[in-house]
Amino acid sequence: MLRASGEKDGEEFDLNSVVGSGDGDAGVVHGKLLLAFADAVFGGDDAELNRVRAELLDAIGEAALVDAAGTAASFNSVVRAADASGIPIDEFKADAAREILDDLGMDDFSPGPAR
Amino acid sequence: MEGRTTPIIRDDIATARENSWERLSSPGTWWSATDRLAIADETRHAIKCELCRNRKEALSPYTIDGVHDSLGALPENIVEVIHRVRTDSGRLRQAWVDGALATGLSDAEYIEIVGVVATIVALDTFDRALGLPPRALPPAKPGEPSRHRPRGARKTIAWVATLAQENISEEDPNPYPGFEPVNIHLAMSLVPEEVAGFFELDQALYLPQAAIRDLDNEYRALTHSQIELIASRMALHNQCFY
Repeated sequence: MLRASGEKDGEEFDLNSVVGSGDGDAGVVHGKLLLAFADAVFGGDDAELNRVRAELLDAIGEAALVDAAGTAASFNSVVRAADASGIPIDEFKADAAREILDDLGMDDFSPGPAR
Repeated sequence: MEGRTTPIIRDDIATARENSWERLSSPGTWWSATDRLAIADETRHAIKCELCRNRKEALSPYTIDGVHDSLGALPENIVEVIHRVRTDSGRLRQAWVDGALATGLSDAEYIEIVGVVATIVALDTFDRALGLPPRALPPAKPGEPSRHRPRGARKTIAWVATLAQENISEEDPNPYPGFEPVNIHLAMSLVPEEVAGFFELDQALYLPQAAIRDLDNEYRALTHSQIELIASRMALHNQCFY
């Protein structure tokens, strides 16, 4: 969906920034801060999360901060239903997903401590 | 936020959060309210478990034996399910699920545990992301689980039985109210009320299903691109490529 939404907006995404090998904004407005927020929500450092949240609030405002928190919460939880059930990816998005995984070598990614 | 310490939360999220807490503290399909709250409590505790931490750091979690640090309210086989789903879901395998079911847990009981874990993780992650304290677990409501297994559930595309839309019977609760199911909705469909309840919350937190691919319109204060950037990073952290 990230790639599709970028194509619609005419944005050129740097998907390497999503997997952590780049440190830019991934081609998304406030992308660097949004990625830092996701990292801080997943991570265990409350002080870092407080710092990033304050910076993000200044940049995007209260309503967008709530949306960012909601998205992070959704994708920290719905993944567990997918992974615990062994449900396969839908056919309509399988090819695009495989292409992105191959491009980025995401199968090599090693996650940090669970939060 | 003009002097406030708590952000204004959209009405749909506020309603879905309250409904989720109500569900967690009510009898489910296979577990009592007391059981469901114990599962939620153990989910919160799992991130402090040394065995889970060691497994997470190991090349394979299946090479590390030991005993979980648990609250002691639930049997070890259930604690194992809760802790693994909470701390390392990206490396679950069918053989592990089969092993969990071989301990006497039914597939439907397993799926309801997954639903409770996912729900409390969503609620707690949202609160933490906004700097809100974790909410105390509410008291358990009385009543018995419904113990309703959909007759049309079949083990076809997943490691456990799922309920395709065409196999829903009149006596089944509708697992897909207001949306057309894709595979992620089928994941917990062996327990229809977990699907309906969890995705009421999930669609408020993320996007309604119809809005996800409607790239001609924006539905949130964030754009589709900004939402999907966060979504991709969180899925990556959880090693989930669904």
